[in-house]
Amino acid sequence: MAKKRYAMVIDIRRCIGCHACTVACKAEMAVPLEVNATWLKIVEKGRFPDARRFVLPRLCNNCEDAICARNCPTQATYKRDDGIVMVDQHRCIGCKYCIASCPYDVRYINPLKNIVQKCYFCSHRVDAGMEPACVETCPTRAMVFGDMNDSKSEVAQIMASNATVVLKKEMQTNPQVHYIAPDETAMSNVEREINYYTEGTLFKLKI
Amino acid sequence: MEHGDVNVIYSVEHQLPLIMYIGQYFFFTGLSAGSFVISVIATLLGRKEFKPIGKITAILAPALLIIAPLNLILDLEQPLRFWHLFVFYNWTSPITYGSFLLTAYPIMGCIYAFMVYTDRQKLAKVFGILGIPLAISVHGYTGFILALAKARSLWNTAAMPTIFLVSAMVSGIGLVVIIAAIRYKWFDKAATNETREQDKKLILQLAQFMAYVIMLDLFLILSDVLVLLTAHSDAYEAGMLILTGNFAPLFVGVEIILGSFLPILLILGPKMRNSLTAVVVASILVNIGVYAMRFVMVIGGQTVPLS
Repeated sequence: MAKKRYAMVIDIRRCIGCHACTVACKAEMAVPLEVNATWLKIVEKGRFPDARRFVLPRLCNNCEDAICARNCPTQATYKRDDGIVMVDQHRCIGCKYCIASCPYDVRYINPLKNIVQKCYFCSHRVDAGMEPACVETCPTRAMVFGDMNDSKSEVAQIMASNATVVLKKEMQTNPQVHYIAPDETAMSNVEREINYYTEGTLFKLKI
Repeated sequence: MEHGDVNVIYSVEHQLPLIMYIGQYFFFTGLSAGSFVISVIATLLGRKEFKPIGKITAILAPALLIIAPLNLILDLEQPLRFWHLFVFYNWTSPITYGSFLLTAYPIMGCIYAFMVYTDRQKLAKVFGILGIPLAISVHGYTGFILALAKARSLWNTAAMPTIFLVSAMVSGIGLVVIIAAIRYKWFDKAATNETREQDKKLILQLAQFMAYVIMLDLFLILSDVLVLLTAHSDAYEAGMLILTGNFAPLFVGVEIILGSFLPILLILGPKMRNSLTAVVVASILVNIGVYAMRFVMVIGGQTVPLS
């Protein structure tokens, strides 16, 4: 039997930005206020009347070559055989090196428990045969989850017949969350491009 | 499309995972490693005039190493679980190696200090030589911690461990100069005029050596920033952040001008040849500059957004 490789495909053409996935995740994982394991990144482009919003659902990519799992000093963060990157709640010392190493900003400190948490593809639900909370809740079936190595699964079939992209491919982390038809600006590092960190108060110099 | 036409309506809030506890930890391990190396050089050269400096720095190195890990433990979200670092390992993580280095090095430092203070010259030399790679590793691994966090473009450079080690040397020598000058001015009344002249010359020579190491540090920073500005977009933004952005006053003002150019002028300048005051002021400025460098690296490196 081939090894499982869990992946998620998010079809942005179907996503309506309803935030149901965010809410379901909050409920399922008891995510406290101020932090999010799953959220929507919303970018607005253009000026009225030619303006439009673009949505990008964001969650932990559970990367194949996760930098966080490579850097965690106690192996509290580790990659399971089926591809899900887990955080051992009892082993984590909260050094936050994984948060500093993650290129996608998906990890957070749980302010109530004082450990690092993130989306883990609802492994407790997946192990019981169900889908992750966000996938089950999504009203337009924009999110699809399953075993990529199983050629009969919906995920494998969608990936074989659609063009998909991942976030920050140049980081070579091999993310397992794939997007169909996302907006390029929403995928990019928009906050950095809005450029107000580098124009300082002392002098303006453009190199 | 102009920048003004793109707005982020909603995104995750940008948090700083590592705060200045970590920067201070880098600063103190740097000081400790720098002063240990000076002490071992003084012991190895064996001449009588180096003995007081060798003794002071032999105690200083392990003493600084007691303050350093306290910063680390305070930064943990679960400080009472710090012992996990000695029971659970990850051989691809620099922090695992650091935990053992951070235990072995102070023990070696204490043994070496004991040998120096009980005048066992030969054993002191042996333990000193054994301790030097430990001292370099204890500070070098912190450079690797930053360099291997791939997501942050200000950190992800091959130059990081070298820059850390050279800054550590600079701040370590600065600390030794300050302490030796304090001893020269207030604690050395019983010495003859000749030994006092020798002591003063030694301090001035140490400071000159520090000036040359500062020049090496400046070269490393220059090459790092040049490559940063000509690499990909995230790296360019990080470079501009420290050169013209919100961290420019600290980086250009404090680290480069106050902490590097001014001390070089004070130490090597023609009118200051014999001035102990100039040299002490330069050393204080150098340490302020190195502390600012740790701040700019740790906090500034996390200020550039990732998404």
